[in-house]
Amino acid sequence: MKFLCVPCDTPMKLQTVAPPDRGSLSIVYSCPECGYEMAMLTNAYETQAVQSLGVRIGPESDGKSSDASACPFAAMIPGTEDAQRGEVAVPTPVRWTAAAEARLAKIPEFVRPMARTGIERFAREKGALEVDEQILDEARDFFGM
Amino acid sequence: MKGYHDIVGDGGSGILEQVAEQRTRITDGLAGVRHLVAVGSGKGGVGKSTLTLHLAGALRARGLRIAILDADFNGPSQARMAGVQGALFVPGSHKVSLPRTKDGIAVFSMGSVIPESESLEFESAAQGESHTWRATREFALLGEILGSFDWGALDLLMFDLPPGAERTVQYADFLGPRTSFLLVTIPSEVARGVVARSVAALSKGSNRLVGYVENMSGYYCRDCDAIKPLFTSSEIPRLGIPCLGSVPFDPELARLCDGGIPFAELGETPVRRALDHVAQQLLESLT
Repeated sequence: MKFLCVPCDTPMKLQTVAPPDRGSLSIVYSCPECGYEMAMLTNAYETQAVQSLGVRIGPESDGKSSDASACPFAAMIPGTEDAQRGEVAVPTPVRWTAAAEARLAKIPEFVRPMARTGIERFAREKGALEVDEQILDEARDFFGM
Repeated sequence: MKGYHDIVGDGGSGILEQVAEQRTRITDGLAGVRHLVAVGSGKGGVGKSTLTLHLAGALRARGLRIAILDADFNGPSQARMAGVQGALFVPGSHKVSLPRTKDGIAVFSMGSVIPESESLEFESAAQGESHTWRATREFALLGEILGSFDWGALDLLMFDLPPGAERTVQYADFLGPRTSFLLVTIPSEVARGVVARSVAALSKGSNRLVGYVENMSGYYCRDCDAIKPLFTSSEIPRLGIPCLGSVPFDPELARLCDGGIPFAELGETPVRRALDHVAQQLLESLT
């Protein structure tokens, strides 16, 4: 979708994207020529259509969402915020070294909470309270990867 | 006044660019895969998943590098059958490592991370209207899986497709012309009719139809060491594409699947020979 400032015949530029409110996004565009601003307010179907493509609208929203909120499985994964609201017991916290976090960050958001939770469980079963690169390598070996 | 195509870019939403990046990641991720084969049918319950796994086993036994992507996100079965239920998705230096079966087949299945007591759920802004967006979300998820997991160098990546003739065509569209299709039917007029619709639909596209397999073609009686009839239908007309072979039903094969036991433990039976024959035919049709 593109927006055109009709008086200026100039393409409008995206300015801000507000977080979803009851299924609606508020996306503000402005005209670089005359400064006129307009907001596109999506309905829930339009919001979901974009989310279903696995994309976000505009660079401003990048990095604002947590692992859990971006993950379709968040509610069923122990340790994530959604699951903690349910009946799943909260396990002992496990720390991550910076290097291990960096490896985790290289994988897409949707799988990150699953990977994090599973690896933390693996670490706990080994008696470790910290995930480092050695734990990651041991997990790969353990599962024959 | 300018029209849509007069304007370069989209003003900053970046949606088209993100979709293009997704496609690039998929292409790059599959660059080391020699053959992409989707195992579909259109009909449910004909043994697509079982055949996928055991054909993969037969090919693996020949020394080929094989991976399976269980594309039936809503009814994943490969995790149990391949013995990778509860396996971890572990990040490597760049991508996510795939769990492997005992005989070395890499397997992605939602069944590894979602218990059988749970269904696949997506967060949605449009509550109760999943028919408007669900398929799009599932294909976006497929794209993320293809782009984020470490498929590496493979001889074959096999897709275990969900049932539904229309879904089969959607997967063909999404996976693109590199992917060949192998269809599965059983000796019944009903199944043959549904699979014929898939053949007709796929024939309109650019994907190659390598042929079909007639599964449950009789059953193997271990007591008699003979193949006996399972369906009473008279001669079923062929589907107009090559038949790569017929595979009898074998309760022992079902036991292996339930227990996640590798194909290698099947033993030398007519069923194993039938699977080996289909694997050979498949390889010959691909090369």
